[in-house]
Amino acid sequence: MTAQDQIKTTIDANDVVLFMKGTKSMPQCGFSSRVAGVLNFMGVDFADVNVLEDEGVRQGIKDFSDWPTIPQLYVKGEFVGGCDIITEMTLSGELDQLFETKGITFSKDAADKIREANG
Amino acid sequence: MAMADEMETRLRGAFTPTRLEIVNESAHHAGHAGDDGSGESHWRVVLAAPELEGMSRLQRHRAVHAALGPEVMGRIHALALDLS
Repeated sequence: MTAQDQIKTTIDANDVVLFMKGTKSMPQCGFSSRVAGVLNFMGVDFADVNVLEDEGVRQGIKDFSDWPTIPQLYVKGEFVGGCDIITEMTLSGELDQLFETKGITFSKDAADKIREANG
Repeated sequence: MAMADEMETRLRGAFTPTRLEIVNESAHHAGHAGDDGSGESHWRVVLAAPELEGMSRLQRHRAVHAALGPEVMGRIHALALDLS
């Protein structure tokens, strides 16, 4: 299976996927850590793919969405963004709306707490 | 050309900024993965430009990636963007 097939299969099989450096329990980059932290805190059930474990996936995910950086968040097969975009969408409430629209379970209270702490 | 100057030249070539800040944050990441010792690895760009109006977040980021070009994007490790 090529890296592109592998990526497509992972995104199709999981409603929420984060391609990141490290894992959700042990991130190895501040930007990956921030996005994984938001999802963890909001109680979102997501699959994490550690790109540091597979050079093919590390380069492949950049080509997949024509996006040069990691982390990358996918919801229901759709690329949402990287660290800056997810942070902005969390604080604006757009991420809540996206999860609601896509039927992804999350804690609205936790999302509100993030916004209160960063308001 | 120093990286900051090159980034500024490329961004001013693609946009007519009403606000442009290019901040080298490499020192904050010294010794961290991605620090290549160049002192030019981690960057933050704050850009406001009429060309970005009406674009989605993804489109704005893509427009900046394209303006900087693969050569700059390939040389830096991290790029935080604050676009409006």
